[in-house]
Amino acid sequence: MSSPTPQPAPPSRALRWAVAGSVVVMIAAGGLFYYASQLAASKRQANHNEITVTIHGHACEPNALTVPAGHASFRIVNRSDRAVEWEILDGVLVVEERENIAPGLSQVINANLQPGDYAITCGLLSNPRGTLRVTPTAQSDAQAKAKPSMVAFIGPLSEFRVYLSAQGSALVKATGALRHAIEAGDLAQAQALYVPAREAYQRLAPAAQRLAELDNAINARADYFEQREQDPAFSGFHRLEYGLFQQRSLDGLTPIAQRLVNDVTTLKQQLLAQSLPPEQLVGSVVRNLNSLADVRAASGEEERYSHIDLNGFAANLQVAHKVVDLMRPLLNKSAADLLPTIDSTLAAFDSELQGFKVDGGFARYDSITADQRKQIADKAKALAAALDGIDPALGLSGLQ
Amino acid sequence: MKKSIIALSLLMTLSPLSAFAATAPLDLVGPVSDYKLYVTEEIAELVTQTQAFTAAINQGDLATAKKLYAPTRVHYESIEPIAELFSDLDASIDSRVDDHEKGVTAEDFTGFHRIEYALFSQNSTQGLEALTAKLNTDVNDLKTRVDGLTFPPEKVVGGAAALLEEVAATKISGEEDRYSHTDLYDFQGNIDGAKKIVDLFRGQIEKQDKAFLAKVDKNFATVDKILAKYKTLDGGFQTYDKVKENDRKALVGPVNTLAEDLSTLRGKLGLN
Repeated sequence: MSSPTPQPAPPSRALRWAVAGSVVVMIAAGGLFYYASQLAASKRQANHNEITVTIHGHACEPNALTVPAGHASFRIVNRSDRAVEWEILDGVLVVEERENIAPGLSQVINANLQPGDYAITCGLLSNPRGTLRVTPTAQSDAQAKAKPSMVAFIGPLSEFRVYLSAQGSALVKATGALRHAIEAGDLAQAQALYVPAREAYQRLAPAAQRLAELDNAINARADYFEQREQDPAFSGFHRLEYGLFQQRSLDGLTPIAQRLVNDVTTLKQQLLAQSLPPEQLVGSVVRNLNSLADVRAASGEEERYSHIDLNGFAANLQVAHKVVDLMRPLLNKSAADLLPTIDSTLAAFDSELQGFKVDGGFARYDSITADQRKQIADKAKALAAALDGIDPALGLSGLQ
Repeated sequence: MKKSIIALSLLMTLSPLSAFAATAPLDLVGPVSDYKLYVTEEIAELVTQTQAFTAAINQGDLATAKKLYAPTRVHYESIEPIAELFSDLDASIDSRVDDHEKGVTAEDFTGFHRIEYALFSQNSTQGLEALTAKLNTDVNDLKTRVDGLTFPPEKVVGGAAALLEEVAATKISGEEDRYSHTDLYDFQGNIDGAKKIVDLFRGQIEKQDKAFLAKVDKNFATVDKILAKYKTLDGGFQTYDKVKENDRKALVGPVNTLAEDLSTLRGKLGLN
């Protein structure tokens, strides 16, 4: 009876360590679990904001939505009997969409929405359009005032590269036609075709001027050569102009024209290969207009043999217009106060030039008086000054 | 505070991406503008070929009209990420009968699929003058609008996935061209359009994730190989009902994987 109850053996040292170890692991696991559940909770929070829209046969439920600006998630449930779509529209343009949502199924649309009123297409094309009102938030107001990031310039810069490509092709084509007329010995035709080729060049001039050496081969005036017109190195457009309009002779122009075609072809390729940062897009147009205002308008030196300077000025203005159009959405958002001056100086320069139209073409520049030339220069200068305000307003030079 | 430091250091050790620099926005200008040049060329083709297609209809040449239907609209299918941005034109050019409550008799059912119905289901070129005139007007209108559009970079990059989702939803089932069964043309058009996007951004994607690119290329090759089986001698495709069940099934995997993978492209290039 007095058999001694067996005492539990004292826990071995190893076991003690094991227990201690597992406690540590448990605490760590608990910590991880807590961390994971926090993560999951924050995810749920995101899903919690999901807005469910149900597409019925003839309408959406709800069909009028109001959400705060920023990221929004819509779960689109298709309770109609056909595969249909749900789109957020800004005018006719689709902002976000889901197509082919199968009957009985649902899909999620994630959108990053700017404040404003949008329309919704909802299932069948004959169904009534829904409305989506996106209300501003403190964050969206701050974003609207903030200067744009580099990503915002991808679109405008891409569009300008498309413009360079199209104008580059036009230049190659027009210069090729000029060469053919010279080769064919047709002086009158060559004189006529010099004009569209120069216009095409002047639409590229702001960008082309970045490529100094190539641009000199294409566009250098006689003054840049030691023996001026008689210098054997004098080539490019103005050498052709000298032959066509001053000497009225095609002698020796064929090799010059052939080289020019090669050079403008290379120009197009190099313009497309160059990376053009946003500050250069605006800066090159400002420099081009300043050279017009400070030098070319008064002297008429650029087209001194043909006197078609006004065609060139109008082409320079077209590039300026293009660049403003490309920057307009960003200006509207972040520096809208600049736009009235930019638009009025654009219009003033344009109407000044249009005033010199005769029979659908521009007057010869040797018929333009000194006073009129000063007016042209002033208008170009005012436009250059207005465009010069874009860089600081959008922070182009300090973009990240 | 501490938690976020732990999370951050975890992230930094676990994320292989942290070793790579993000894509510089200016590096995307070249590919985005090259994509616009591609879209511009495709639309020029769409306009020219729509003219020839509708001329055949107006001359009552049913055989030629049927032959030109699929090769014409493929130029729409390849650029859908941009074309679809214009909701009104997308509806009048490319809506399917299901989009209209009254079906084929709906007055606003116009465009390719309404004409497809007349040519292939009714076997007739009669009374289509208004529809052919409208289709020409619409594709010209599309050209003008695309010329004036600054392409949103996220729509361009996101377009690759959108095209594959379109394939997954409507092409494998064969419902897009239900009267003509010329779905394989559209199928190839969607795939080519998506591949074009990947090719234009290849350099930037490669810098971010080489393995991803290899996987995408492999799946494109698999899809192309299956589609190639059904090519005809004149460069066209057999009708969709000829596609064997095992090939339809074999397409599902790579198409879905491509759609899923390509949906991460925007994020990879810093455009989310």
